[in-house]
Amino acid sequence: MSFFGFGQGAEVEIVLDNVDNRRTADVKGEDGKKEKHYLFYDGESVAGKVNIALKKAGGRLEHQGIKIEFIGQIELYYDRGNHHEFTSLLKELAPQGELSHSITFPFEFLNVEKPYESYSGSNVRLRYFLRVTIVRWLSDVVKELELVVHTLSSYPELNNSIKMEVGIEDCLHIEFEYNKSRYHLKDVIVGKIYFLLVRIKIKHMEIAIIKRETTGSGPNTFTENETIAKYEIMDGAPVRGESIPIRVFLAGYDLAPSMKDINKKFSVRYYLNLVLMDEEDRRYFKQQEITLWRKGETSRRTLQQQPASGTTSPMAGAPLANPTLPTFRSAPPPVEREAQDAPEHEQEIDDDDDRVRGQSAARASAPDATPSPPGRRADAPRRTALSPPP
Amino acid sequence: MVLVLVLGDLHIPHRCSSFPAKFRKLLVPGRIQHILCTGNLCTKESFDYLKTLASDVHIVRGDFDENLVYPEQKVVTVGQFRIGLCHGHQVVPWGDPEALALVQRQLDVDILISGHTHKFEAYEHGNKFYINPGSATGAYHPLENNVIPSFMLMDIKSSTVMTYVYQLQGEEVKVEPIVPHLSEAQLPDLRIRFAHNRPAAFPGLRSVKNKLDTAVRNHFSLIIKFL
Amino acid sequence: MVNSNPTSPQLSPVDEQEKLLDTALGVVKVQALEMKRCLDRSKLMDGLKHASTMLGELRTSLLSPKSYYELYMATTDELRYLEQYLLDEFQRGRKVTDLYELVQYAGNIVPRLYLLITVGLVYIKTNDSIKKNLLKDMVEMCRGVQHPLRGLFLRNYLLQCTRNILPDTVEAEDENEGTVKDSIEFVQSNFAEMNKLWVRMQHQGHSREKEKREREREELRLLVGTNLVRLSQLESINVERYKRLVLPGILEQVVSCRDAIAQEYLMECIIQVFPDDFHLQTLHSFLKACAELQPGVNVKNIIIALIDRLALYSQRADGGIPAEIRLFDVFSEQIAQVIEARQDIPTEDIVALQVSLINLSLKCYPDRVDYVDKVLETTVDIFKKMELQRVQYNSAVSRELSKLMKIPIDNYNNIMTVLQLDHFAPLIEYFDFYGRKDLSAYLVTNALENETLIPTQEQTDTLLTMIDSMIQDQSDQPASEEDPDDFAEEQGLLGRFIHHLKSNVPDQQYLILTAARNHFSLGGAKRIKYTLPPLVFQAYQLAYQYNTLREEDPKWDKKCQKIFQFCHQTINALTKAELAELPLRLFLQGAVAAGCIEFENHETVAYEFMSQAFSLYEDEISDSKAQLCAITLIIATIEQMSCFEEENHAPLRTQCALAASKLLKKPDQCRGVSVCSHLFWSGKSRASNGEPLRDGKKVVECLNKGSRITNQCMELSVKVQLFVELLNYYVYFFEKGNEQVSVQTLNQLVAKIKEELPNLEASEETEQINKHFTNTLAHLRARMSAPDVNTVNFEGLVI
Repeated sequence: MSFFGFGQGAEVEIVLDNVDNRRTADVKGEDGKKEKHYLFYDGESVAGKVNIALKKAGGRLEHQGIKIEFIGQIELYYDRGNHHEFTSLLKELAPQGELSHSITFPFEFLNVEKPYESYSGSNVRLRYFLRVTIVRWLSDVVKELELVVHTLSSYPELNNSIKMEVGIEDCLHIEFEYNKSRYHLKDVIVGKIYFLLVRIKIKHMEIAIIKRETTGSGPNTFTENETIAKYEIMDGAPVRGESIPIRVFLAGYDLAPSMKDINKKFSVRYYLNLVLMDEEDRRYFKQQEITLWRKGETSRRTLQQQPASGTTSPMAGAPLANPTLPTFRSAPPPVEREAQDAPEHEQEIDDDDDRVRGQSAARASAPDATPSPPGRRADAPRRTALSPPP
Repeated sequence: MVLVLVLGDLHIPHRCSSFPAKFRKLLVPGRIQHILCTGNLCTKESFDYLKTLASDVHIVRGDFDENLVYPEQKVVTVGQFRIGLCHGHQVVPWGDPEALALVQRQLDVDILISGHTHKFEAYEHGNKFYINPGSATGAYHPLENNVIPSFMLMDIKSSTVMTYVYQLQGEEVKVEPIVPHLSEAQLPDLRIRFAHNRPAAFPGLRSVKNKLDTAVRNHFSLIIKFL
Repeated sequence: MVNSNPTSPQLSPVDEQEKLLDTALGVVKVQALEMKRCLDRSKLMDGLKHASTMLGELRTSLLSPKSYYELYMATTDELRYLEQYLLDEFQRGRKVTDLYELVQYAGNIVPRLYLLITVGLVYIKTNDSIKKNLLKDMVEMCRGVQHPLRGLFLRNYLLQCTRNILPDTVEAEDENEGTVKDSIEFVQSNFAEMNKLWVRMQHQGHSREKEKREREREELRLLVGTNLVRLSQLESINVERYKRLVLPGILEQVVSCRDAIAQEYLMECIIQVFPDDFHLQTLHSFLKACAELQPGVNVKNIIIALIDRLALYSQRADGGIPAEIRLFDVFSEQIAQVIEARQDIPTEDIVALQVSLINLSLKCYPDRVDYVDKVLETTVDIFKKMELQRVQYNSAVSRELSKLMKIPIDNYNNIMTVLQLDHFAPLIEYFDFYGRKDLSAYLVTNALENETLIPTQEQTDTLLTMIDSMIQDQSDQPASEEDPDDFAEEQGLLGRFIHHLKSNVPDQQYLILTAARNHFSLGGAKRIKYTLPPLVFQAYQLAYQYNTLREEDPKWDKKCQKIFQFCHQTINALTKAELAELPLRLFLQGAVAAGCIEFENHETVAYEFMSQAFSLYEDEISDSKAQLCAITLIIATIEQMSCFEEENHAPLRTQCALAASKLLKKPDQCRGVSVCSHLFWSGKSRASNGEPLRDGKKVVECLNKGSRITNQCMELSVKVQLFVELLNYYVYFFEKGNEQVSVQTLNQLVAKIKEELPNLEASEETEQINKHFTNTLAHLRARMSAPDVNTVNFEGLVI
């Protein structure tokens, strides 16, 4: 935004067309503060005017040409100098010449492809902006306008629920289900935890939404985990046979769509972390990746309008926990096994594939009674240092 | 005013199974001050029962009383009256007024109470008053067929005695004042006067007032008015 | 554990609780105030935040149930302000979009759910059409609180909030409003969860705190029971729905929770909260569930509670057991199954169940004596099966059994009906000695109080066999002596009871008396003195009865003889038991009776009885005072009799005089012969045609003998006393017109007394003698001054 001119300066302003009707969106700036910018979608034309006002009335501005660019770029913070532009469109506004009075240039980038969503993370930033450059001999006059891009997705065709049976031998054995594997940003996670075996004294259970940002590749991979939300879903110790409902409204949290291998530079993934805390403050957890996507505006608007009309349930868009949630017996074995970088004081709950396959028929009887090889529990790391979330 | 219950010859369990329930209902504990019993209670339970009605119980020994503590005769003073108590089986001939008079003179009493005959009686003789309450249970007596259960109540006001007899006739308790044989005019120098008044506080009277027969009602209209 | 600051002084658990509670209440107060301020300024979100912070206090694990309850009350009380605010806003049309969603962002589940319920309630109140779904959602979401105490209170809050809005219609106009069916599902779901939490409390913490936990659970049980109350308040639940939709679910939960405390409480709760006519239609399933309860459950109490209620119901005006419900049979069968199914049930409880069954039968089917007998039979069968020998007195079984048997007694108040119970007597046999005696006394007392008569010999036999433990020594009787007063009282009861063995038919009465004597004569010396005299007196009365029937019954004469024979034998049994005073008096009574009833031989019988009395007097009575009493009584008795021929009367008279003069003490002799004088004056015999003998000479001889004896007395006061008494005798006969008594004799006696009196020492006794004498003289003066009524000539009498 800074520009400087020697003596003869000009003020450059980029005005987008039709801004009164354009939505804005927040995005985290480089300094971490939230900024509001106009919102664009993939394929949308970006049009407007560039106003150039000479600072000194009656002055003149010599230039080698005036151009406007539409740029999409990825900045890796640890690699300051290298900006990877994945999109760069250029329009010449004026050939080399001289400006003697203020002037306005309309511009339009037609149906611009914007393949990625704007993103501002710990180590990486993906941004779009317009840049007007008055090319001059010594120093160009440059003006940039930040834009925000939201990538919209249609409802995913394949959206299986996440069902899994996990356990720690002779200690804890649960089945859980999240109703989907892909959630849009205003979605509600609905699910259920079914306790098959409880031999630890559980104090409470929570669901955390974790954002994992991965940058770089190979040995230079950087991973940053951020807990976006912590949500207590159970208080006290359940016994065998209890099933605990899960309902998490996502709209209230600062979330963005999942991003996979964006331009081979970075990924942003989201995980649901189911954490059980026992009375000795040991934590047991299980992470499941979910895919977040941004839903098209039209359908979102209808959803939001419904409660306002007062005719339908206030829970519209907030699906109820279904008391007749299918049992987990027929759940397919999980596809993915999470390799874990568990912190010191935590213990991941193992998947229990074998058991699911081998003994599903005996589920209804006493899972507790299932004989199990000794020693696994003893091997489990005991951690007590961590205090429960505030 | 002092209420004195006079009764005797219960003969429980020898001749009777129990004290009549109708009498029991009439006799409310705490209203009667003294009980004079002519004997033949025969068991401790009967004595205990009397004790529940009044704490001051005087008993003389009847021929079927085993209790040797009971005296043959006894004198009790109530108000200004000396009252003699004697079962009567030892007075020969049984129930003979002259023979009873001997006892009266010996005991030096104004009123002599005796029993044994199972037949209620109240009379004045030689300016003295004689009372026999009969058998409270209507117990069998070989010389008296059709024994009617009866007892008496004396209402003593210092120098006045009013006496009532209670009889169980069939299912009904009948109460009658004892009519003096002599008019008051004839007894100027006697200490005993028979006043035609009711014993105000006696509980039984109210419950039986309607059962008084007409004769008594006419005769003692004054009493009934108060009942 | 409690996070106590090590520097703070040690607090007692109670103080600690108070402190913790105070702190929590303090926070609630502050946050509530903030919440209200925000709401008053329409800052809803801030208000909700404060509400959430306030509710955060309910997350504590440090409070006892009692303190937690206080905290809960304070907090939910404040929530009402929020509820009212939202209601007002909603009614003004200012709906807050997505409020139901909004409150769900609260990170902690306990505050979140309290808010959810509060907001949900407001939604429902302002929009019926979401009721059904919302109720379902709220009750489901509450599953997230698995901590027993917090969960119980949270669900209680849900229950309290929804109490007036549960759908209570059979069919809803709008399906989304829900019907009573939805309400049932809602409450039952909540009930099941609360019960699970409540049961779970039992299994938490250290085993040494079991009692404390049970106490705490007791305190909380009302919370669970409220669910059932709520169900009972749904008016659309009729018998049919109760049977089909409500009860099975409750019972399933109760049975499957496998917790004794819960089962016992909930089963009683069901009985108490639902109407009786519902119970009537669901007896089978309820009782079947009873059989499936945990071993520790007092099933007896549950069944009894149900029976008692139904029994009461059957007697209410609006009640009445429908004919098609065979209440007794159902209970009878089900109880049998419960007993069968539950091997742990103690014998006393088995009997207690029979007690309730008998109560039921008596209250609902008062006429069905066979039902009562069936219960007794069942009890006998159970005992047989258990090979029970004897039930020890005052043991729990004995107390229950005693109750079982006393109920029919009390209920019928007629032991004749009790006699119709065939299995009553066999059941008595299971008691030990004390138990049998106690029950016997109870039977007897009941008969006495209700004036029940036993009118036949067979019934007499049966009954006396039943109460045998009172009548004779028992093989299992302890060796130790009984308290004499208690024994006397018990036998007194028996004595009184004999007067209830009574038939209007004289012949039957005779059979009764003979049968009774067969029983009572086994009682031994210590008992028969109580039991035989009543029999004798009954017999005398029976003889009198035959006497009045002499026209109708030609055999009356023989029968009377037989009766006196019976009496003779009976009295002799007493004599053999070394009694004297009592048989003597009974003989005298018999003599008088025989004398009056003029059957053939009656004089002989009377004489026999009299001579028996004399023999007893002579052989058995040794105490001088008793002797005087006895001879006086004999004399008085003979004086009354007029049946004797001279050949019998004469020896009796002389025998009396002789016996009197042979008394040990002089004063007794004097008094004896004085009394004897009456025999010669008013005594009657056949010779005098039943008229008094009027033998003045003999009278005076007796009195003179008395005078002579008196003169021999050494003690002056006794002597004077006797002279005064003699003077009265002389006066008596003088006034009766005995010419053998002269004025001179009277004068002499008066003079003698006057002479001696001053010599007596002043004493109370002397005073009495003086009074006696004065009274005698006064009497004489009165007689003398009323000559018109006198046939006696007092001339010459000097007073």
